[in-house]
Amino acid sequence: MIRMYCAYIFLLLNGLAFQSSATEAPELFEVLRNKVLSVHDYTAKVKMKINVNYMRIPQLAGVLYYKSPDKMKLERNGGLSILPKKNINLTLRNLIPSGDVLVIDAGADTIEGKTVRILKVVPTDDGAIVLTKIWVDEARMVAMRTETTTRDEGTVIMDLRYDKYVSFALPDNVTIHMDIKEYKLPKGVTMDYNDLPDAKNIKKVKNKKGTIQISYLNYEINKGISDSIFEKE
Amino acid sequence: MKPILEVTDLSKSFKKFKAVDKLSFTIEQGAVYGFLGQNGAGKSTTMRMLLGLIFPDSGTIAINGYKFNNSRRFLLKNIGAVIERPDLYGYLSGWDNLRMFATLSGMSIPNKRIHEVLEIVGLKGREKDKVKAYSQGMKQRLGIAIAMVHDPDLLILDEPTNGLDPQGIAEIRALVISLSRDHNKTILISSHLLYEIEQIATNMLIIHKGKKLSDGPVSQLFNPDETLIEIELQPEENIKTVVENSQWYGKSVRISPSKLVFKMNPSFTPDLNRWLVNQNVNVLNINSRHSFEAYFLSITNDTATTDRAI
Amino acid sequence: MIPLLRIELYKIFRRPRTYISFGIVTAITLVIQLAMLSDGKSFIGFALQGVNEQFDIRGNILNGYLITYLILQSLLIHIPLLVALVAGDALAGEANAGTLRLMLTKPISRVQLVFVKFLGSFVYTVLLIVWLAIVALVLSLVLFGTGDMINLKSDAFVLLLQDDILWRYGLAFLFAVLAMTTIAALSIFLSAFTDNAIGPVISTMGIVVILTIMSNLELPLFNLIKPYLFTTHMIGWKGFFDDPVPYAAIMRSAGVLAMYTVGFLGITMLYFNKKDIKS
Repeated sequence: MIRMYCAYIFLLLNGLAFQSSATEAPELFEVLRNKVLSVHDYTAKVKMKINVNYMRIPQLAGVLYYKSPDKMKLERNGGLSILPKKNINLTLRNLIPSGDVLVIDAGADTIEGKTVRILKVVPTDDGAIVLTKIWVDEARMVAMRTETTTRDEGTVIMDLRYDKYVSFALPDNVTIHMDIKEYKLPKGVTMDYNDLPDAKNIKKVKNKKGTIQISYLNYEINKGISDSIFEKE
Repeated sequence: MKPILEVTDLSKSFKKFKAVDKLSFTIEQGAVYGFLGQNGAGKSTTMRMLLGLIFPDSGTIAINGYKFNNSRRFLLKNIGAVIERPDLYGYLSGWDNLRMFATLSGMSIPNKRIHEVLEIVGLKGREKDKVKAYSQGMKQRLGIAIAMVHDPDLLILDEPTNGLDPQGIAEIRALVISLSRDHNKTILISSHLLYEIEQIATNMLIIHKGKKLSDGPVSQLFNPDETLIEIELQPEENIKTVVENSQWYGKSVRISPSKLVFKMNPSFTPDLNRWLVNQNVNVLNINSRHSFEAYFLSITNDTATTDRAI
Repeated sequence: MIPLLRIELYKIFRRPRTYISFGIVTAITLVIQLAMLSDGKSFIGFALQGVNEQFDIRGNILNGYLITYLILQSLLIHIPLLVALVAGDALAGEANAGTLRLMLTKPISRVQLVFVKFLGSFVYTVLLIVWLAIVALVLSLVLFGTGDMINLKSDAFVLLLQDDILWRYGLAFLFAVLAMTTIAALSIFLSAFTDNAIGPVISTMGIVVILTIMSNLELPLFNLIKPYLFTTHMIGWKGFFDDPVPYAAIMRSAGVLAMYTVGFLGITMLYFNKKDIKS
């Protein structure tokens, strides 16, 4: 109820400030969302690099399978698939609220020299997403950036760059910024080697942010994917 | 005869215990040198020093004129040894043990020689058996085979008959005699029992508490003129006067009413006996043994038998 | 010296006791492999708790490479015992059996004998590690398949790609040989000072256990001496499973182990060369 109230205040304030906008914010959001939702599944060759302070993972190459609404799997020819948990999924689809929303125009910004509109989207249901800010490139009708505040996973920022698949609103490059929880195992269990004094000097930055960079090399879109591919091994 | 081994002023202490004290002796080529002393007298320590197992505190050891310290490995090629029980590799066969130690002796030894040595020590036919299945006597003989496989001139045998039954002792004794007589070995053999080696030794050395007591050729140590003739009598109160007034007095070492002891050549015993009968002395028993044996017993058993001995 | 070494190897490998170690390595390996076959999933779940909160890791996590790492880690404590079983027996065992004095009445150099005892133990150690590589790595790969390897450190999650692992094991096993050779040298060192066979084996284990505890305890006093304990460096093989591989630290660890080995051996030679053989 409180959220609804807040959303109305947002709407009111922003409505007053940006009455002159060409397309209304809710309309813009709907067009964008429909474009995103038009992709039901895809298979894409990807390269993924996970940059999390406590994780030392080389660049992973593989095939990313996606099926709406939330099935995803990285196939690495026998290798392991490491993906963020469901709530911070790699697709825009899951960072944009899917139910009824309030959309507020939050002004304009510039990303890579392009002027973009900022939309604030507040879901009216009790889903995992509390608030999503979307930076929209109106000319191409794609989201250049999203900033999603989730109930449990903190804030996730996603930067998207488009090229060949812009008509499907599918990015070629995505960088996800996420909050990282602390990781620690007892030394008595792991019996680490590096415990020499000089090893202690190795930077122990308490970086709480992590990024995941994904390059999509090609997409096969809406060809239909069997559910069995996503079954847990 | 030229000396094969010369030991001069050899001393060794373990902490405060003086195991060997300024010991000197010489062994000539071809001798069977009996090394006598009670347990703990310093025999083993001395023999171990001769083999380089224990390092002397002072004194010198020379073999064939070479100082042992300077030429240990060279000299060991010409020595074979059995120190106490020969402990061997029980999980290996007699042949394997012998072959292995033959290789360690620093010269190439053909299998023919190994067969030959097995023949000499009487283990032919048993060489394929595991050593752990051997009797103590067989192990002892295999030990001697190992000691002589590289045909050394000097054999050092430390109590080779220890722990053997009478038959085993006799076998080893025969083997030592044959090694000396037929194979021309110089042998240093130790024992704490005189009777074990008096028949085979040409020379003897007695040590006690690390010190030399006496040494020399057996012929000299066992001079027949120094045989002890013990005569038990029906007690005769005036026997002392009777002996003192006779020609036998000079040879007497002990005179008591029930027992007389003379030191002399045993060939005089019949004359002595006849004289005693003529003096109306009743002789119950005549016993003879060598004074060297008595002397040895007196040392090895310390006080217990001293009285009986002399 | 070659005949002496040949004899030493002959003695080691004709003795039934030698093969017990190979049996024990096989048994421990099989036990861990069986445990992982039946219960590995929950083990992985437990170990990956922290990471699983945010990341969804799928695929053959419990693959042969990871199992081998776990086996190596748990054998860290046991292999020294097996090495000591042979190396600790090298001089003391022969002294105890009485064969040492017989050997030393033969024209061989005592320094050479110590060195040959060391070489014999070294050959045995190499074969034991090769055997371990076969049963741990080869058998685990057969049973559990290949895959990317996760290496969990107390403060890091390291993922190694499957085609980037085998060389690490090669170097890790080499390093293990060096570490175990240090144990062999320690055992021979202890073996020179006593005439009973079990003493050096137990002392070796005692020293390894105590120093390992000191190497792993987080106390200021221990931290001061840790870099000088050989047990701290014995786990240097783990460095090959980090990314990037800390080559400088591994080389230093190898250096420390080599120095300990040479040190133990040198003191043993000096001492044994002057020792009175009274056994």
